[in-house]
Parts: sequence; C-alpha cells; structure tokens
Amino acid sequence: MGAYVIRRLAWLPFVLLIVSFITFALARFGPGDPVAIAAGQIRDPEVLAQVREQRGLDGSIIEQYGRWLRDAVQGDFGESFIQQGYSVSELIFPRMWVSAQLGFLALVIIFVVGIPLGLLSAKLAGTWADPAIIGSLLFLQAIPVLVLIPPLLWLFALQFNLLPVGGWDGLFDIWWIAGVIAIPIPDPHLYLPLTAFTLPGFVGVARLVRISALEVNTLDYVRTARAKGLSETAVQWRHVFPNSLLPLITVFGLALSGIIEGALFVETLLGIPGIGRFLFEAVTSRDYDVIMATTVIFATAFILANLVAELMYGLVDPRVRLGASRN
Amino acid sequence: MSQNRLLAILLSVLAVLVLVVGGLSAVLLLSGGGDDGGDASASSGGGGTTTESGGGGGSDVAAAASGRIRLASSDPITLDPHLAGDATSAEYIVEIFGGLMTLDKDLNVIPDIADSVEISDDGLVYTFTINPDAAFHDGRAVTAEDVAYSLKRAASRELSSPTALAYLGDIVGVREYFFGLADDVPGIQVVDDRTIQLTIDSPKPYFLAKLTYPTAFVVDREQVESNRNWTRRPNGTGPYKLTEWRLGERIVLEANENYHLGAPALKEAVYLLAGGSALTRWENDELDVAPISVNDVERARDPGSDLGPFYSTWPQFSISYLAFNLEQPPFDDVHVRRAMGMAIDRERIANVTFSGMFQNATGILMPGMPGYVPEDLSLPFDPEAARAELAQSKYADDMPVIQITEVGAGAEASIDMQAFIEQWREHLGLTVEVRQTDFASFLSAQDRRELQAFSAGWIMDYPDPEDILDIKFHSESSLNDTGYSNPEVDSLLEQARVEQNPDRRLGLYQDVERLLLDEASWLPLYFGVNHVVVKDNVKGWFEPPMVIPRLRYVTVER
Repeated sequence: MGAYVIRRLAWLPFVLLIVSFITFALARFGPGDPVAIAAGQIRDPEVLAQVREQRGLDGSIIEQYGRWLRDAVQGDFGESFIQQGYSVSELIFPRMWVSAQLGFLALVIIFVVGIPLGLLSAKLAGTWADPAIIGSLLFLQAIPVLVLIPPLLWLFALQFNLLPVGGWDGLFDIWWIAGVIAIPIPDPHLYLPLTAFTLPGFVGVARLVRISALEVNTLDYVRTARAKGLSETAVQWRHVFPNSLLPLITVFGLALSGIIEGALFVETLLGIPGIGRFLFEAVTSRDYDVIMATTVIFATAFILANLVAELMYGLVDPRVRLGASRN
Repeated sequence: MSQNRLLAILLSVLAVLVLVVGGLSAVLLLSGGGDDGGDASASSGGGGTTTESGGGGGSDVAAAASGRIRLASSDPITLDPHLAGDATSAEYIVEIFGGLMTLDKDLNVIPDIADSVEISDDGLVYTFTINPDAAFHDGRAVTAEDVAYSLKRAASRELSSPTALAYLGDIVGVREYFFGLADDVPGIQVVDDRTIQLTIDSPKPYFLAKLTYPTAFVVDREQVESNRNWTRRPNGTGPYKLTEWRLGERIVLEANENYHLGAPALKEAVYLLAGGSALTRWENDELDVAPISVNDVERARDPGSDLGPFYSTWPQFSISYLAFNLEQPPFDDVHVRRAMGMAIDRERIANVTFSGMFQNATGILMPGMPGYVPEDLSLPFDPEAARAELAQSKYADDMPVIQITEVGAGAEASIDMQAFIEQWREHLGLTVEVRQTDFASFLSAQDRRELQAFSAGWIMDYPDPEDILDIKFHSESSLNDTGYSNPEVDSLLEQARVEQNPDRRLGLYQDVERLLLDEASWLPLYFGVNHVVVKDNVKGWFEPPMVIPRLRYVTVER
C-alpha cells in the first residue's frame, strides 16, 4: 500500500502541471488583463505595453508559463495585482483558514445529520414515512446551491431578520455566564453557509446509509446474529451499523470535493472571505497569479481528498487491495 | 421496542459527534489565533493588536476617542502613490503622503511641501522652495533631493507606473526616461537643499494642478529602498500616519502632530473594511458616516424619516456618458448620434428612475468646475426634432444593427438603459440591443475601440477642463475613446493648453464643449452625486467633488 500511495503521489506534480498550464492559457487568452484594471481610467496603450513588459506579461505563453513555473517551484507564487505589495501566499493563507474552518464544520454536519437520517429511513422502510423522507430528500438534493441561497437569504435575512445577510465573524461567539463560564455558541453568520454547504451532502449520505442498512439487514451474518439470540440493539450496533457505514468512506471523498467546489458559490454569494470567494474575485479582476495559486490549491485538495477516500476504503474493507492488480 | 433502540443509537451517535465538535472548538478557541472573529479573542484579551491600540493608558484613550471618526471603506489596491490609479487608493494616499502642491477645501492649488513657487516669464520653468517645516513622519526634514528622487522614481522605467506620463509627462525628459531612452531627466534639477526646478515642454497653466495627484508625491528613499514591504507602514509627509492595516479588516490613520500645514484636529480615523451594509452599521452606531444607496435614497430624503436630519448630498466631479464609436456605422453619421441624443429624456430618468440619485448632465463640465456654464448645453429632449434629424441621416432607410455594451452580469440591461431603449423605439423606431460583459473584458474591448457604442464614466483627476476635454477628445489623445477627430476642436484645445490668460483660456474650453455636445460623440447622461448620512457629533464633514486631503478639516465631538 505504501508503494501505491507513493505512486499516486508521484502523479500529483504531473496532474498539477497540466491543470496549471490549462488555467494559465485560459487566463491569458481570455479578454482583459489585470494591468488595465489596476491602471484605473488612464490607460495609454503605449504605457500599458511597457507596464506589461515590466510585470513579465509579454512574450509567448510558453515563456510566460515557464517563468511562472520556475518561480512557483521555488515557492514564489507571485504578487497580486489588485492587492499590490502583498505576495499571493500572504493573501491566500488567511482565506484558506476561513474556508478550512467552514469546510470542516460542514463535513461534520453532513455525517452527523446524514447517518441518523439514513438509519431512521431504513428502519421505517415499508411504512409511509420512508418514501416521504426519501422523496423530500431527493427534492432537496435536486436544488443547486446557486438557486438555494437567494430564497434562504430572502426568508431568514430579509423577511424575518433572523440572520445576517452575509459576512464572516469567526466560528464562535462567547456567552459569558456570570462572567466566569464561557459557552461558545456558533456565530450567526455560519447558519446560511452551512445550510448551503451541507444540504446536498447530508442528503447523499442519508440515501446511501439507508440503502446500505437495508441491504445489510438482509445479509446472512445478520440473520445468524439474530438466530444466536443476540439482542436487537447488539445486532444493530455490532453488525448492521458498522457494515452499513462502509460505503460512506467513498462518500467522504466526494463530500470533501463537493465542499471545495461549493466554496466558490457559497462564499461568493454570502460574502465570506474564504478562498472560493478569493478565486472568484481574482477571476473578475484577472489577477493572474492569484488565479494560478488558487487553482493549484484547489486541484491539490481534490486529488488528496480522493486519495484519502481510496486509502480509507482499503483500510476498512480488506477485500480492496489498492494497487494489487499491478502485482 | 426496536424503535426505542434505534432512538438510543441515534442519540448516542449524535452525542459522540457533539462531543467531538465541542472538543475541537475548545481546542480552536484555546489555541488563540484559531479564531478569526475579533469577538472571542478580544473579550478574552487574546487579540494582541486590539489591546495594544486600545489599552495604552487611560487618559490617552479618552483623548484619542474625542477626535476619532469611523468610516466604511475597502482595502486600497496599493499605497504606493506612484502606482495608484484608483480613487479608493488615492483617498488614503492623499492623507498619508503629500507633494509639492495640494488642493485646499475649495480646490485651489496651494503649496504643500513647497512653500513658494516661481514661474518663469515664458511659463516653462517652475522653481519651488521647500517648506523648512515639511518633514516625514519619522521627523526627517524633506529636501529637494527627496522631491527629485520621488519624481524620478515615479517616472522610471523600472517602476513603469501607469499614471507616470499622464501626470509627469510634461516635464522635459520624463517621456524618454520612462521608455528607457535616457538615463536622467533633464527637466528635474536640484538647485540646492531647499530649491528644486522643474522645466516643462510648453507653458501649461494646468501643470501645477497635475502635481497635486499622488504620482507627484514624495516618498522616503531610504524606506523604499531598504524595505520591500514599505507600503504597509509608509513614511509619508501627509497630515496622517498609517498606524494599522489589517487586510480586509481595518485601516487606522493617526494625526501627524508635526504636520507643516498645522496639526489636524481630528486625531484618528478608523476605516472599517469588512461587514455588511454601511447604512445598517451606521444605524447601529458602528460608523459615523455612511453612503446612501439608491434603495435608501427616498427614505433618507424624507425630512421626517429617522435618516432625514443626518442626510446631505454632494455633487461630484464625475460624469456618466454614452459613447459612440465614430469609426463604425451608423455612428459615423452625426445625424444618428444627435437623433439618439434628442430622443431620450435624461432628466426624467435621473429624477424618477434613479430617484434623484444623480444629477442630469447639462454638459460635459460639472458644476463647480472652472469653465462650467450654468445653462443646459446638452441636446434637448425633443422627439420631433430627433425624428427630423434621423430623416437626414444616410442610414435613415437602412439602419445597421445598433448594439450598446455596458458592464454587467448579463441578466438584464441596467434600468436607465432599458428606459433609453424604450424611448429610442418609441420616438425613432430604432431597435437597440444591449450587450453586457464583465469589467475586465469591457475595458479590453473599449481600449481596442471594438465597441460600437458603450456606456462609461470619467472622474476628474485635477480640477481643470483639460483633464476631460483635451484628454478625451483631442484627436491624438491616447484616451480618446470614440475616435472623435475635429481639426477645429484640436486647434482650440491646443490654444487652450498654452493660453496664459485664465478667462480667455476657459472661453476656449467653453467653445470646445459646445462643439462637442453639438456633434454628440458622447451623450452626457449624469453628473455624480454623493449621498451620505453623518452623525451629529461629526463637525465639518464634507464630500469634496474629487479626492483631496480632507480629514484635517473635520472634528468629532464626543
């Protein structure tokens, strides 16, 4: 397995090379450039040509990409055009931290809500409640994040004035009891993004758990366990529950990718200063170096998320032997 | 029975996860830096910077709080005065830095670092004497050498500033220096420690006004050359020093007590860079001044409303216009342009559609600008005359497709554009399409003159008609965005560049303005107006028509 991991990781640079080159080419060939935007209203073509040259934006795309790659390999991701005087890394890390906190919470909620919902639905199989639950879940899952956020905003922020329209204020507020005991409560800015992030995810998890639990319940070893006279609790806890969670491991990777992807929309629409919104802003202002660095980070995160999912699957299910086919 | 067990399972799963989340959050909180929200760390005393600036001795805090203003803004693109080209950056820069000249409250050009200027009889040589009290924030006196270094840095090929030629290009040799064709700038001469001489290429009365723009500001050579990140705590010469800049959170300016034009009364300005609606925060007493958007303007204007008593409006030196590309049909025909101009009721749109958010443009020069004429010079709204005009056009029977491009997300045309389209259809029978593109693509297409017609804007950089009439309409100007070319206008503009008699000079610009409006390569739409609400305890607040150093004129009573 170690060899498998190494082999997979060895591919990472190649994948990143391809991703970064495509992104680079798309950005440079697309209309508009950061020099014109940063210049403001005084845009003398002759002057801007020299500015581009000084900023390394002249020459063929291969030359430019070569320069970018040379610096990137040395850990220098360049400087922002729109936040001049700050390196891209300096700008990206605080935003990654915001996204990571939000993403982590979302991941937890997806499983916390999804698993019990799936088990409940499985338990109620055969009654009217099961199709009702599954039906509403399917309905919810079918709503794209982009469509979901505006009505949520309208309802909770504008109509009822319960939640802030957007923004970010950390994960927790502190409630002080008698000035001594601190109780962390989730910050109100969290509810809308977390709902948008987790809705498709926990629905997916719930459906998977339901199917899986139904299937496991019919398996021989469960029947045997019941036949041995084990209590239903023990059967559920020791046999059905762990085994029906197995497929979830694969979902973990998917959920993680979903969250990374969702960050772009959720953060942009709700004004959360995370990396998704940063990428969106960089694209609108053609902030080349920021676009490049963010894309590379996103690509790496995707690849690692999938690798982790595969590895975990191998750990949980001994039948899956990663890389065995090659030997 | 089995349902009870299931419930137990569910509850225990939940309990475990709640514990996990709770535990992790505790770890995050305890690790201090973990939480980005100021709330938690500030209340637990962990937020280093907050405590530092807030807790530096009781009496200090009281004094600082008595002259402190809280404003909403955003991060500047750059605080390097030589590179900045946008209004947001300039607003900070003019408070932190200074140059030889500056603009006062009434937009008169007055000495700043210079304390006197002598202009040679031929109008070519400007001799500045440096104010002996002018000093950087760290106390070092400003010398002629500092000024020369700064001007040359701004004009250098190495820096390649997008604004260098527009503001300094009149100085002899700057152009060659900028493009790397010369090693020095002969037009910048240090005479002695306190005297610097600038020579320009022809006698231009607006040259001093150009020197009030950040491109001509003075920076500290030692700091610039020794610290790559110098713009994060710049050592300027302006009335305020930057004492804190947290990206996306806040910028704090503190009064420079030794400022050579007098210590500012307002001791501290805090710019809050994050957060939701500025008006909501103002109502929440988190801000002292807040801009009013078009959605709130009706409410603010009502004197009986909660905003009414705090509301004021301030005309700006900015204009929105529709531009026609004179190189593309049908806009190579003046009759089509004039017809379209006379078929739209701009006044009604400014007042009704935009609830008076903007002022109907009566010409190209805004009220308050030198050369402004207090009468409506623009094409009148007259559907009948418009139809007659269109009938004279060579395209009357065979109108090409007309497409106007504007910046937008692509959902639907902006509300005024929808009204225009309706009026062109109604009064002229014209079908006009609107295309929306994102800002970056728009700029690129506009600069390549690919757009048939587009809606755009211009903000004055210095209060001289040359800054709009010459640089937008002279046939050889690189910023002429319509391809407009009229030898008569060119000749008038060239005369105005060097006319030394102010009245005659403004007269020339007024002639130009009338010709331009008559030929309608631009349809001026609105002049900008700032709408703000200001707290009672803020005295002397004003919204200048263009970016000038203003904080030192304001006081806050608490």
